[in-house]
Amino acid sequence: MALTKEEVTAKLLARIPKAAAAAVPVRDYPTVRLAAASDLLPAARLLKDEMGFTYLEMVTAVDWLGPTSLAGFVSSRNPNPFTDQPALPPLAPAAVAGANYRPVFDLLWAFGNIPERLKVFLRLEVPRQDAEVPSLTGLYPAADWQEREAFDLLGVRFTGHPNLAKILTPDFLVGHPLRKDYEHQPDLYDGK
Amino acid sequence: MSRDLGSSRLWPTEVWARPWSLPRYRAGAMWLGGIAAGIVVIGAGVGELYLWGDRLLGLLGRCGLGAAWVAWIWVLVKLGCVLGVIVANGLWAVWWERKISAHIQSRFGPMYAGGFHGWAQTIFDTIKLLFKEDVTPAAADQPMHALAPIVAIAPCVMAFAPILFGTELAAARLDMGVLYIFAFAGISVIGVVMAGWASGNKYSLLGGLRAAAQIVSYELPRGFSVVPVLMFAGSLDLAVIDRAQAGYWLGFIPRWFVFYPVVGQVSFLFFLIASVAETNRTPFDIPEAESELVAGFHTEFSGMKWSMFFLTEYGYVLLSSFLLAAFFLGGGAAPLPFLNFVPSWIWMTGKAMFMMFVFMWFRWTFPRLRVDQLMDFNWKFLLPWSFANIGLAGVMLWWMLR
Amino acid sequence: MASEELTVSGPGLEMDTMFINMGPQHPSTHGVLRLGLTISGEVINKAVPDIGYLHRGTEKLMETRSYQQCVVLTDRWDYCSAMPNNLVFCLAAEKLMAVQAPPRAQALRVVMCELNRIASHLIFLGTYGIDIGALTPFLYAFREREMILDLYEMLCGARLTYNYIRIGGVAADLGEDWVAKCREFLEYFKPRIDEYDTLLSFNPIFLARTQGVGVIPRESAVAWGLSGPNLRGSGVDYDARKSEPYCGYEAYDFDVPLGQTGSCWDRYFCRVQEMRQSVRIVEAALAKLAPGEVMAKGVPKIIKPPAGEAYAHVEASRGDLGIYLAADGGAAPYRLHVRAPSFLNLAILQEMLVGRKVADVIAVMGSLDIVLGEAVR
Repeated sequence: MALTKEEVTAKLLARIPKAAAAAVPVRDYPTVRLAAASDLLPAARLLKDEMGFTYLEMVTAVDWLGPTSLAGFVSSRNPNPFTDQPALPPLAPAAVAGANYRPVFDLLWAFGNIPERLKVFLRLEVPRQDAEVPSLTGLYPAADWQEREAFDLLGVRFTGHPNLAKILTPDFLVGHPLRKDYEHQPDLYDGK
Repeated sequence: MSRDLGSSRLWPTEVWARPWSLPRYRAGAMWLGGIAAGIVVIGAGVGELYLWGDRLLGLLGRCGLGAAWVAWIWVLVKLGCVLGVIVANGLWAVWWERKISAHIQSRFGPMYAGGFHGWAQTIFDTIKLLFKEDVTPAAADQPMHALAPIVAIAPCVMAFAPILFGTELAAARLDMGVLYIFAFAGISVIGVVMAGWASGNKYSLLGGLRAAAQIVSYELPRGFSVVPVLMFAGSLDLAVIDRAQAGYWLGFIPRWFVFYPVVGQVSFLFFLIASVAETNRTPFDIPEAESELVAGFHTEFSGMKWSMFFLTEYGYVLLSSFLLAAFFLGGGAAPLPFLNFVPSWIWMTGKAMFMMFVFMWFRWTFPRLRVDQLMDFNWKFLLPWSFANIGLAGVMLWWMLR
Repeated sequence: MASEELTVSGPGLEMDTMFINMGPQHPSTHGVLRLGLTISGEVINKAVPDIGYLHRGTEKLMETRSYQQCVVLTDRWDYCSAMPNNLVFCLAAEKLMAVQAPPRAQALRVVMCELNRIASHLIFLGTYGIDIGALTPFLYAFREREMILDLYEMLCGARLTYNYIRIGGVAADLGEDWVAKCREFLEYFKPRIDEYDTLLSFNPIFLARTQGVGVIPRESAVAWGLSGPNLRGSGVDYDARKSEPYCGYEAYDFDVPLGQTGSCWDRYFCRVQEMRQSVRIVEAALAKLAPGEVMAKGVPKIIKPPAGEAYAHVEASRGDLGIYLAADGGAAPYRLHVRAPSFLNLAILQEMLVGRKVADVIAVMGSLDIVLGEAVR
């Protein structure tokens, strides 16, 4: 039985309570928004065991707080000797009118079905304060490092993860750099 | 936005389209020229000296010293020649290896030092090594650290005593020459283990122990593969083995041991493989290229101490090349009867240089064996088949003497 | 000759565990990676890869750069093959903007990405040979790679980080003699792959070192999210060029090599075969090149895609490279996440190395063909 995108979405919406097709879908892919964090594991099990989505492609999160704060960037000495202005990032991101900024983390999982050549995205919004989401490492070992990365860069905690530790940033770095309100604390490499 | 490549950038298609560039890029001229150069560098000192040997002896006698003094001085002269050969080999073989490796790998190698193809490269490298600081780790065992290179190189030099450099050209005429050589070649293992132990570094120790295991294991097929040669020649004396290979079958096929059916080829191959393993060269260079995980046994040695290990390795390569030439390739005998006018030392050294080229060729062609595969290969393949080889040689000998 | 394992146990014979650090600098370098191994004797008990040495914060940097400036940053992920990095970002942005590159640009994109696949696999071949101990194929591989880099230099002036594939098409058209030189390279290259086969692929020592070593079963490969030749070496038929074709790949006729057992040799040989297939694709694409535009009409100077989210993925040399792009309508990407194949390929070392011998670590790690620039971004 060849699976189609519509069948996948329909089955998910039928089986997971209060799940809905996402308002802003990932272009050209079926995207389903989950209502609660507790729906994640049942949805993942449904996808893996019953619909053959055995390939976890991506785990990531988006911080919808607002434009990136420039305080998060290291303002190092400008290599240009003719100015004493610090070297700033090329573009100061500005708030766009009409954009839906809200203090949430929008988590995204991408599941792949290799024989059927299908991909489905699951989304979940969690509040920025103390964001906690169940971990998928029990079902998909591929989630292991990706969840560590989301924790390291954004601060989303994954309950049930065997080793939720920093992976990309150095040990002396405090904070979660990819957050929009991240402020860089001067450390030993800032040459002060 | 596209740009033309400068005319100085030549593609391989353009380079190889020119007929004269092909032999220059490939190894052909290099190995021929190298063999000739090797003969000159290594053999000439010894080979030409023997012409003057009698005159030198007479000169010494006329100096008015007693017979015992003359004998001692004569021994020192011969020792000087052998040391000269080893040092010259250390200098020259490295250059040749760099050139061979370069041409096999489609590049040039040393081209700058001294002008023509960088012939003075190793001389300058030696001078640099002499000036290097001798660093001994604090955790190392100081006297052992100083002794290890000496213990490694001294047996190598001594093993050269009965080596034939041509017909009747040896520093010492020993009637148990082969036994002597194998005995001394085995003592260097102690130096290797001392080096690993005295480094004060557990990784070097592991590397040294692995090297020792490898060297000791491969001595067995090395010795056993020579036994058929000894059976056919009837003596352990290298000169007798050399003479047993003189002469020609059917007037033009030389009576070299490598041409003896099956037994000759098998012995030759096994001795070659075991020698490559003995000298820690690829494909058996786990101790040297242990830099994957563990540093080699000679990491904590710098400057002159390191160059002692280096000389040891190339000295053993030279020793194995001479042995291969002496045992299997006829020693000083010419391959065809009408070439007898060429002095025997040129033939001997030429064959040894050819075998040295084979050593170097192996290094740049084959990947490395893993440690356990190496040991498997020795104990489960080489050793049983070398026994079978001895049996076959016995059968052949019985049939020949019937 | 198989080696048997003898287990000797008893009082006083227990081995202490030793902790060895491989890296962050080691000779068989694939980037700056630290592998902490806990071994007892020859057997590895625990392997912990420690990455992050090459983290430059690209995802955050891109939030303060315009879309064209972001393309420059994409080159630096997998620096051994930079064209697919450019391509995947441009595909994601083009999805958001609903812009399609013209046919000539698509064919050029295919040619450049496949040439880059060949160049990247040549690096793999050379460095894997060195890891195993064969020191010569490296020089041969780089001789061929020099020709490809010369082609790229003729094209866009850069050898390693090209910034050639832009949003809406490619940066510039070919010179007059580029196609002829490319064809010359392809003719020269085809017998070279056979040369590598004789020198390395079927060498008994190489086979003994790589066959049966580092076997990844199918389910494990899929569960750990491997991609590219690592996944196909275990027999899973997943290639982004076939499953979700982009840039006109559905029109090209090529095979996807699959391995059987998932050993190091299977992964290695998949890459060698992929080089042959890439040559086929480049020839087909060059034949398809028709005169035309190389940049789509109507791409503005200041790119501000409408608010939305897009996911694009390509079959890069290392595996399935994906970009998730969230735009809020501003001049800079709001959020960019890179699904890097090397990041996931590296994670499997935690499980794969346990129980193996120390001497196999290099062979296994080399066969995964990771580039730390991509793994760590």
